Amino acid sequence: MASVKRVYRDNLSKRLTLSQKVFVRSRKGKATKVVQEHYLRTDIPCSSQLCPTCALNPPKDSSGASRPFVLSSDPPSVKSCGPHYLVPDTNIYMKAMDLLEHFAAFYDVIVLQTTLDELRNLSLPLYNRLRALTRSQEKRFYVFHNEFRQETFVQRLEGETINDQNDRAIRNACVWYCVHLEEAVAGTGKSAPTILLLSDDKDNIKKAKELGIVCTTLETYVRELPQADTLLDMIVVEGDEDTSGPNRYSYPEYYSTSRIQGGVKEGLLHQGILKISQYNFLEGSVSVAGFERPLLVLSRESINRAMHGDIVVIELLAREQWKQPSTKIVEEETVTKNDNPEDDMQENIVTAQERKALIEEAREAQYSSAEFRVQPTAKIVGIVKRNWRSYVGHIDASSVPSDAASAHRQSSVFLIPMNKCIPKIRLRTRQAMNLLGKRVLAAVDSWEPTSRYPEGHFVRTLGDIESKDAETEALLLEYDVQYHQFTQTVLDCLPKEGHSWRVPADTSDPLWAGRQDLRDLLVCSIDPPACQDIDDALHARLLPNGNFEVGVHIADVSHFVNPDTAMDNEAASRGTTVYLVDKRIDMLPVLLGTDLCSLKPYVERFAFSAIWEMTADAEIVNTSFTKSVIRSKEAFSYEQAQLRIDDKSMTDDLTEGMRILLRLSKILRQKRMDAGALNLASPEVKVQTESETSDPMEVEVKQLRETNSLVEEFMLLANISVAAKIYEAFPQSAMLRRHAPPPVTNFEVLADQLRVCKGMTLRCDSSRALADSLDDCVDPNEPYLNTLIRIMATRCMLAAEYFCSGTMTYSDFGHYGLASPIYTHWTSPIRRYADVVAHRQLAAAISYETLHPSLRDKPKLEHVCQNINQRHRNAQFAGRASIEYYVGQALKSREIDAEGYVMKVFSNGFIVFVPQFGVEGPIHLRDFGNPEPPCNFDEERYTLVFREGTAKETRLQLFDRVVVHVETVVEESTGKRKVALRLRKPLVE
Amino acid sequence: MASRIEIYSPEGLRLDGRRWNEVRHFRCAINTHPVSSDGSSVIEQGNTKVICNVIGPAEPTLRSRVISDRVSISVKLVVAPFSMIERRKRPQNDSRIQEMCSSIQHMFEDAVIAHLFPRSQIDVNLYIVAQDGGALQACINATTLALIDAGVPMYDYVCACTAGMLDREVLLDLNRIEESAMPFLTMATIGGTRKVSLLQLEMTVQFDRLEPMMAAAMSGCHHIRDLMDSEVRKHGKSRLERGSF
Repeated sequence: MASVKRVYRDNLSKRLTLSQKVFVRSRKGKATKVVQEHYLRTDIPCSSQLCPTCALNPPKDSSGASRPFVLSSDPPSVKSCGPHYLVPDTNIYMKAMDLLEHFAAFYDVIVLQTTLDELRNLSLPLYNRLRALTRSQEKRFYVFHNEFRQETFVQRLEGETINDQNDRAIRNACVWYCVHLEEAVAGTGKSAPTILLLSDDKDNIKKAKELGIVCTTLETYVRELPQADTLLDMIVVEGDEDTSGPNRYSYPEYYSTSRIQGGVKEGLLHQGILKISQYNFLEGSVSVAGFERPLLVLSRESINRAMHGDIVVIELLAREQWKQPSTKIVEEETVTKNDNPEDDMQENIVTAQERKALIEEAREAQYSSAEFRVQPTAKIVGIVKRNWRSYVGHIDASSVPSDAASAHRQSSVFLIPMNKCIPKIRLRTRQAMNLLGKRVLAAVDSWEPTSRYPEGHFVRTLGDIESKDAETEALLLEYDVQYHQFTQTVLDCLPKEGHSWRVPADTSDPLWAGRQDLRDLLVCSIDPPACQDIDDALHARLLPNGNFEVGVHIADVSHFVNPDTAMDNEAASRGTTVYLVDKRIDMLPVLLGTDLCSLKPYVERFAFSAIWEMTADAEIVNTSFTKSVIRSKEAFSYEQAQLRIDDKSMTDDLTEGMRILLRLSKILRQKRMDAGALNLASPEVKVQTESETSDPMEVEVKQLRETNSLVEEFMLLANISVAAKIYEAFPQSAMLRRHAPPPVTNFEVLADQLRVCKGMTLRCDSSRALADSLDDCVDPNEPYLNTLIRIMATRCMLAAEYFCSGTMTYSDFGHYGLASPIYTHWTSPIRRYADVVAHRQLAAAISYETLHPSLRDKPKLEHVCQNINQRHRNAQFAGRASIEYYVGQALKSREIDAEGYVMKVFSNGFIVFVPQFGVEGPIHLRDFGNPEPPCNFDEERYTLVFREGTAKETRLQLFDRVVVHVETVVEESTGKRKVALRLRKPLVE
Repeated sequence: MASRIEIYSPEGLRLDGRRWNEVRHFRCAINTHPVSSDGSSVIEQGNTKVICNVIGPAEPTLRSRVISDRVSISVKLVVAPFSMIERRKRPQNDSRIQEMCSSIQHMFEDAVIAHLFPRSQIDVNLYIVAQDGGALQACINATTLALIDAGVPMYDYVCACTAGMLDREVLLDLNRIEESAMPFLTMATIGGTRKVSLLQLEMTVQFDRLEPMMAAAMSGCHHIRDLMDSEVRKHGKSRLERGSF
């Protein structure tokens, strides 16, 4: 047989050479040989603006465009090597991604394919950050595919490890660049920029120097830059290798990967997300499928270096070691105050104080007769995925050594994160004194078994503690809200006309195609006062046949935001608009949010309308959806609308329409309640700010009017109708929202508390039963009690979530709180991304447009859902944190007595909720005197009896009304201004 | 992208270093098995390798195979167990193999000038020796060359190529890793014309994406026709010089 012979390297043409990548891979225990083609080319450009040869024939993509050359002809310069292009080694990316992203340095960087691939295998998040850098135009990062260029490709040598091969490839590429640039500038009289190899690998540096490559370590390079001190602090610290003293205490090692995998498979180990208790930093819990209640993880050793939010693998402890959840408030600050960040050698992982606190608890647990309180307890044996991110906090003043200011020397300090669930982070910094009293952003790098605290590095300062900007930015960072300005590429997606964009006057314009002309309808919007982003408007009218026509008109955002554009991707990653007390972080650029999409009165706007025909009993006869053009007649606030409806003298059609809406909404609401919808409560307050300085003035409880529920009812109706429609059209990929029924165990404690303290029963077998029993929980003497119970019941619920319909069965679609079998979000596309998706799906369902493929792609949608669920949750937290901050500021210089309710009783204190300000806070027994007054804690009756000094005995039970003294102090542990409560007197004896 | 491998980099390079519109290295030879068959060829497209033997036109071995007015073509395809990374033996009646056989058979029944050989039979035997994506296209191309070698008159070359679509990017001539990552189609054209003799797409693709994929595949087919044509001419020339007819 005459066959085609294969040589090792094959010159296919002048531009292309073929090589083979051969490697042996083990798969299911078998070794398999993989052969892949590897084409080597000569047309990969150097991307330097100095080079005329590469610019002659740049490669083109399928649309015929070629990428611009990014490396500047005038790169930055340092003293030792003049103007230079940087070539970082992989270890630099691992250590100093924060540095590379810094605006002050690191421009004109050549990212070699070898290092990029290595980085991707080492850390996907870092890889993504580097990729983002290569996309940004300012930083001028260029990815050079050295492994595909003929001259820079290296073949693995006999006996060479992959790492050595990669290092050699990096050096090869550096040499090529040097020669290439010399050639490029030859004859022009200019000098070529130096190629500066950055590496922290000693061996690599040595070999590079032999080849004549200019190279240096990261640290020596950074020292030459301006702002060296700030930049140096941002380098990731490496675990010290040789600190193994004989006396050293260490955390238990994690199990090996194979043992963990095997264990999880066999059901011996369990996997779940660790949640650290807010009240006790030594107590965590992990919810695991197959266990009704979450598994407890107690003590620092059992938590074993895991942090809040990590996905961990746990092993159950023996039954006699099971504990009950803590009945104490334990704060990290009080227990570990005196730790010295420098002195790593003598530290024990569990300090004596901590041990004492635990022993006390264990003793109590033994005597406790309440069997049901003992929970399965576990210890952490492995971590599947870290949830590390950057944390905001402040430097613990007591940890700063006194000589830090004098010497320009690196010292270790503690960063106390704002989030109480996160342990202190040890930082090495040269600027400890400057950082005191500042909000500081830091990243966690590692947590060695030999180190009591995680190691981190400084990222940047946000500003002074308690300054408004710093605090706002801190909470945006803490809740991962993307608050940066929209980039130019996003803004380019906006209509060119800007604010002067109008609905085309000519109805034969292509933009009118498929749109219904609803400009004559008497549409109006009802929103909170001073609302700018109006997403919804309503109308109602009597039909000749005696039925009513009701329409909900939603801003047609999907007309402006097309799928897969820069603006769409940005909106998808932001997920939702975030409302803070004094600030709004928009999901869409302001032009759309507050003008072109906003259904402002007296102007024509594109809308997406849902129109029902209803009988007088609010029975739906007919539902239709259409894209439309409307002209809102009026924008009301809730209050104005209420006044207008109540004003008997107004009899115009618009007011009549609103009256119809109100009447129908009441019927709809009753129907919903009959079906078992829950009426839940949350402690909502509003902070009034001064209009000029936006300083907080007053805190008031939010008022609800009939018109609030009018709008709400029709939005719910629209959402439910749309959900049914898009599910019918796209059963596999509809964007829906569900609220799973809470497990009965969630209510166990609350039900028991109500039974014991108030003699009330709480049934939770269905949402109907729960709604009814909540209605029955009324104490004539305590009008607020019902609301309090509703707040506590809300906390027992699960969070509602977005999902893609193909991922669940229909029976799981239900919305528990609304008692609806199917639900979605469709009515606020300006501020929620889920609604934008629902809009597109609905438009496709009514054949207005074709469905974009990304909305049919289940995995992609799932990814979108995951992100917006997270963003939605974070936005809520950020909003609450903002209110909390402003409540603190509003009460700053005042001291008030207010009524509060006991929400939780511990053996050494209790938690009081103050409805007037929507805040809750702990009152410790130690506040009543030193030493702690003797007390008697009855766990089963939720009572705490103590004697304050010589005064009469005080007896407190759960749900008791008390009067507390409210003032604000800056909490030492978090640097937050917090409401501090002191007991004045209990009202119920 | 969450995946650990990057099928198509933002700089416009594929996993193996090709750009979007480049076919893999294409090598072919004809008259490779002159003793055992009337026409033979070997084709390599990248790391996919196919051998084709053609026997005939000859008298049918079975009476039932006789078609009175034209030639009948029968295709047999063997996939070598060692052709993939993991060794796997495939039964002869595997439905995918059957399907490939029948589509090749139907294509070539229309491509050869069938009425010149009534009541006779052509046997096409294909052996897939190595697979790295695009097995069907390689089989079609190999059959064309072997038929030419056997001297069977045809209207034109039948040449095949694959094209896939990743997000918004069309990629030509996929290898095995790329095939598993995106929807792709196999197209065969009659020579350098725009006549399509086979279009096979086994995945769902958004309708508006079909056209760019087809356009790319067609240009790939034409490119492969030129490569095969030059090989045939080269071979013809050398035989003329040797005078070995």
